Amino acid sequence: MESAGEGWTPKILAFLCNWCSYAGADLAGISRMQYPPNIRVVRVPCSGRVNPYFVIKALQHGWDGVLVSGCHPGDCHYISGNLVARRRFAVLKDLLEYFGIEPGRLNFSWVSAAEGEKFAIVVKDVVEKVKSLGPAERLVKR
Amino acid sequence: MVSLQNPVSEVNKVGSVLVIGGGIGGIQSALDLAESGFKVYLVDKSSTIGGVMAQLDKTFPTNDCSMCILSPKLVECGRHLNVEVLTCSEVTGISGEVGNFSVSVRRRPRYVDIEKCTGCGLCAKFCPVEAIDTFNKGLCDRTAIHINYPQAVPLVYMIDKEKCIGCGLCRSVCLADAITYSDKEKVTTLNVGAVILAPGAEEFNAKLKSEYGYGRYPNVVTSIEFERILSASGPFSGRVQRPSDGDIPKKIAFLQCVGSRDVTCGNSYCSSVCCMYSTKEAVIAKEHMNQIEPTIFYIDMRSYGKDFDKYINRAKEEYGVRFVRCRISKVKEVPNTQNLRVKYETEDGRLSEEEFDLVVLSIGFTPSENIKQLAKNLGVELNEYGFSKIQPFYPLETSKPGIFVCGMFSSPKDIPETVTQASAAAAKAGELLSSVRGTLVKKKEYPDEMDVRGQPPRIGVFVCHCGINIGGVVGVPSVVDYARTLPNVIHACDNLYTCSSDTQEIIKNNIKEYGLNRVIVASCSPRTHEPLFQETIKEAGLNRYLFEMTNIRDQCSWVHLHDPEAATEKAKDLVRMAVAKARMIEPLERLSLGVTHRGLVIGGGLAGMTAALTLAKQGFEVDVVEKNQELGGFLRKIHHTLEHENTQENLRNLVENISANKLIQIFLNAKIEDVSGYVGNFKTTITQGSEKIERDHGIVIVATGGEEYSPNEYQYGEDPRIMTQLELENRIATPDLEKLGNVVMIQCVGSRNDEHPYCSRMCCGESVKNALKLKGKAPDTNVYILYRDIRTYGLIEEHYRKAREAGVIFIRYKEESKPTVTKALSEGKEVLHVSVFDPTIQEDILIDADLLVLSTAVVPPKENSILAKMLKVPINEDGFFLEAHAKLRPVDFATEGIFVCGMAHSPKSIDESIAQAKAAVSRACSLLTKDVIEAEGVIATVNPNRCTSCELCMQVCAYNAIEIEETKRGKTAKVNSALCKGCGACAATCRCSAIDIKGFTDMQLSSIITAMR
Amino acid sequence: MHNAEESIREAAKKLLSEKKVDLIVGHEQGTLPLRTTPCFIDKVEDVPKLVWNENCDANLSKYLIGRKERMGVVAKGCDARSIAVCTFEKQIVRDNVVIIGAPCSGLIDKKKVRTKLEGKELLEATIEDEQIQLKGEGFELVLPKKDFVCSSCLTCRHKTPPIYDVFAGTKVPEVEADEFSDVADLEAKSSKERWTHFKEALDKCIRCYACRDVCPLCYCKTCFVDQTMPIWFGKTTDLSDTMIYHLVRAFHVAGRCVDCGACSRACPMNINLRELMKKTEKIMKERYNYTAGLSLEKVPPLGEFKMDDSQEFIK
Repeated sequence: MESAGEGWTPKILAFLCNWCSYAGADLAGISRMQYPPNIRVVRVPCSGRVNPYFVIKALQHGWDGVLVSGCHPGDCHYISGNLVARRRFAVLKDLLEYFGIEPGRLNFSWVSAAEGEKFAIVVKDVVEKVKSLGPAERLVKR
Repeated sequence: MVSLQNPVSEVNKVGSVLVIGGGIGGIQSALDLAESGFKVYLVDKSSTIGGVMAQLDKTFPTNDCSMCILSPKLVECGRHLNVEVLTCSEVTGISGEVGNFSVSVRRRPRYVDIEKCTGCGLCAKFCPVEAIDTFNKGLCDRTAIHINYPQAVPLVYMIDKEKCIGCGLCRSVCLADAITYSDKEKVTTLNVGAVILAPGAEEFNAKLKSEYGYGRYPNVVTSIEFERILSASGPFSGRVQRPSDGDIPKKIAFLQCVGSRDVTCGNSYCSSVCCMYSTKEAVIAKEHMNQIEPTIFYIDMRSYGKDFDKYINRAKEEYGVRFVRCRISKVKEVPNTQNLRVKYETEDGRLSEEEFDLVVLSIGFTPSENIKQLAKNLGVELNEYGFSKIQPFYPLETSKPGIFVCGMFSSPKDIPETVTQASAAAAKAGELLSSVRGTLVKKKEYPDEMDVRGQPPRIGVFVCHCGINIGGVVGVPSVVDYARTLPNVIHACDNLYTCSSDTQEIIKNNIKEYGLNRVIVASCSPRTHEPLFQETIKEAGLNRYLFEMTNIRDQCSWVHLHDPEAATEKAKDLVRMAVAKARMIEPLERLSLGVTHRGLVIGGGLAGMTAALTLAKQGFEVDVVEKNQELGGFLRKIHHTLEHENTQENLRNLVENISANKLIQIFLNAKIEDVSGYVGNFKTTITQGSEKIERDHGIVIVATGGEEYSPNEYQYGEDPRIMTQLELENRIATPDLEKLGNVVMIQCVGSRNDEHPYCSRMCCGESVKNALKLKGKAPDTNVYILYRDIRTYGLIEEHYRKAREAGVIFIRYKEESKPTVTKALSEGKEVLHVSVFDPTIQEDILIDADLLVLSTAVVPPKENSILAKMLKVPINEDGFFLEAHAKLRPVDFATEGIFVCGMAHSPKSIDESIAQAKAAVSRACSLLTKDVIEAEGVIATVNPNRCTSCELCMQVCAYNAIEIEETKRGKTAKVNSALCKGCGACAATCRCSAIDIKGFTDMQLSSIITAMR
Repeated sequence: MHNAEESIREAAKKLLSEKKVDLIVGHEQGTLPLRTTPCFIDKVEDVPKLVWNENCDANLSKYLIGRKERMGVVAKGCDARSIAVCTFEKQIVRDNVVIIGAPCSGLIDKKKVRTKLEGKELLEATIEDEQIQLKGEGFELVLPKKDFVCSSCLTCRHKTPPIYDVFAGTKVPEVEADEFSDVADLEAKSSKERWTHFKEALDKCIRCYACRDVCPLCYCKTCFVDQTMPIWFGKTTDLSDTMIYHLVRAFHVAGRCVDCGACSRACPMNINLRELMKKTEKIMKERYNYTAGLSLEKVPPLGEFKMDDSQEFIK
């Protein structure tokens, strides 16, 4: 991945659940809502599929930020995958930040299949935040 | 309507159905029937199926790309073993009787051999003839040998014999030897059990409204022409430009109701879809070119469908589309600029004039002469407008038994309603022919799966241009070049449309030619297109899971329109990530599941009862669960229809039929306690009083209905003279209705506001109905209807016109100045003073009402949310159930085996509820008629060498799909493949990584994460 | 603590002689001063070997995992709590185990003592009346015990085991303690300061895995750092790999760690691993009001959820 310096643009890895957030991202596209081209989407069946290892590994491998997005509480296609994940993510985020990882690197959102606009806004926000942090350094394996 | 009185004896019935019309309606009927055990002939007079939908750019209210959602259905139809597509064909006659018809079909010559043509297009490249491109509405030329559009099914060229000069060039270049100049017209006879009419309707001939200058002024175009102008595959490749000079228009006027709601041209009905499609066209035009300023001139904004009002509001607020309520008197061309001056009369009677660069006429729809002839050939009666005659309780039945109708042919309607009716008509045919189901169908044979285990990955990457949808932004060729450099990529190429049927052949050939054992498509969303490509690779002998898809359109080119460089970089990354995953993917097996041949219908209103009865007629047992002590639901409050049908009598008949049917068991005062299981194998707990009943079901139909909103507006409940429209209906139904002087009706009470932002759809018709009844009983009653927009869509418009003729006074009020009601003493009597600002005279009007009638909203039952959670299906913001896809899957849920119909979906009329109920059954039958269905291959799997049996996975599994098993080597977790949904909560929770998800494995996801280094 | 020693021996004798258990897992005197070592006793006559004092620092629950025998185990508060966790996680069969609960007055932190001795060799040590007497060649020291107690014991609230079958000695009442003050101090720092802090702390790690091997909760058959297909994280002493190892281990013990302090005690590089572990406890307490090891039935936080769980971090 690109290193810091002139012309650096962040690369953000996004885990989107197939049923809500991925569909929301599709809707953003169908609605031609423009957002920064910095995210790379990984489709997962459910936000509950997202193992903390994925997030940590992404940070170690130089992704400047990570976004995990799933269905709103109550909307999970798999009933409660997102709710189980919510606790897992809370602990992961608290721990990572305690460790000294910048709060803006790791992001979570609930985006429904109908929220194309919200998806675009979330991406914009995340990209802005990560941009202001600069290239990832902590935890990155050189 | 006369139902099938004397059907032929069951032995003579034929297990095949003829579907006439290959538009989206015909396609849906054909697929439903073919999936539930019938042989289908799909006949279209054009050279391809697809109909009007193939000409549309985007669809409202989701702005889905029309071709993108249609194309998989076209391909499915084209490749379905039990659908025989007969193009260039017309039905000329019918004989025989219901259940066993002989239909003669005239097949016009195509001059190209369907079997031989590969659709390569070389012929068209050499054809020297220039002819008008009718598919593109004459906005550009085509050659004499042509196809209508790149995704056409069948993808076979056709010679326009009228234009062909017989030079022989095409024949000499055609390597497939497919040109047959000597082709002759043929007549075929088909033996079918039933016929479904889905011929659609024709666009109104805008030349008949000469005051708008269509045909004289080049910059006056019809809405369908404009649709082609917007289309990426249209004449201008999606560049919005004027026909006269190719300039980008700044100001565009849309004139509504051209050839609709217009007695002078004979089309006094409303065409139902124009308000929405012109708003959509305005929005899309604006998206294409931001400098465009669209204005829509309209009479009433008829955005009555699900989520339509939200769309209109967005058009106004976000896109700045201007809406002007007026009537257009004339359009005149400005000689030098060829601009157009639009003269109109504003609502308050002022004359105004404004200049535009382009004028779009929102033309209505009308049955074509062809269709009228077809009806004549089949002996089907038409109404005064030339639409098939139907009755509200029998919306799918023509006057001739065994011949059913769907879509525009019975009245103007939009795509989801057409699709709904198409499925419903399929259900009708299925009811009729259930005894001969499965007698004429063939089963699909796939080639044996190649065993690729142990082979190094050989990956093929197919990058889609999607017309210009992707290629216009992303540098597709450079993505292809990049793909070639990636590990294990053996082959990479680009396609104009990777989804088209010719590309499917290319993919299959490439798999063979290059020995590919993994396939990647970089195109649109896997949510819509993955199954299509999986099917393709399966046909080439690969396991369907050896496929990976990456979305470089919806999530790349469309969202980075102004940054082609970054979009191309992103597309490359996405392909790289897909390759990283594809290198790790493995073939997966699908588990076969049995199907319980019994249905559950939740709700015993009109939709629920219709669904139950239809299921039973198809031969399946049904349980109906109704929360009240009586069947009937909302319908119990309605006494007659606009067409004077006696609703209560129909209801009684329905209740009798359903109660007498041995296959149906009714649970009154009952509710669903729990539903578990999965498609084909649901376990339901029904509680009735203190009793708990457990049942197995194969499918679930949600028909929980709607409720009348109880208003807290306008002093409702404080005075007996203030009532709801349904209460008035009840009053009218009593013989001793007192004499009334002034009756004031207020529309949109509880609808289209902050609490319920949607339109309740039926209230305008309901008020017109009651107004006409009141006028009929006592013509000197003064009826005032205070409205925001009169939404008497389709043929209901006729009743609106009648009401005005009968002297009902319609006064519009604005959302921000609602009518006010005060009580006052007048001549010693307490009267209801209704005050409303009339925008036509710009003054307040005062009416003393003897009766104030509130047209109240339809609201969803509160239990919907509980049921939704139980069934794991979504509800929308308004509280109605949310279908899988607003356009093409109107009665399906994303969760397999569960369907929705009636007002549980959104407010709707009697005929619409019936059609939806039958549609839900049709969809359900595609499952229930099977003995075995395949489960997903994406499920959890345990590595016992790592499992410590700590049971954490069991705690987080929402499906109880994991148990602990005692093995020789100790305890280990074990996954029940039938219960597992593959969500991955277990895999992500397991500290030991002892449980993994096939298709989304740790290895695969880890490879994606590290792919960028 | 010493008053419990006899009761423990009596209980052990009874269990063995009545054949209620096959063996007793307890502590015996070590070969060096201030040391004890875990022992397995299957004969009544060996019971007197059992000791109970401030040096019985091994968490004996580790020795129960995966065993088929019926065992009696001598358990401090933290031992009993990790037995509870491992029992819930089906690593210990409850019916096979008799917990001999014993009161704990706090363990002596030998690292603190060693620091005090500044390299001098300790030959003899006795603990009496809240005082530690240390003797060696040419020196004799009397130290106040409270200054040399393990930091985990200083904030321990469960000096009496919350779960036991037999109790030996006198119960110590539950004490209120500001157990998260160290974590709070770190939390008060900036993100960068914390990063620097942990970077420096963990840079010392030599990946010997003593922390993992001593932890009663690290019972995975293959630790995540040892897995292949995929290789999750590197096994090198590269700072990134090392930090991730400790981070993930902390995540793994979240909602399960009972702060027995074994990892910190075992670390040859004197890394204060409790700083991390304690944070996981704090998260669980604050977000889900959960303390590990107090119940045999309660599902730990990461195995369940509530509709209204905190989600201030989710957009």
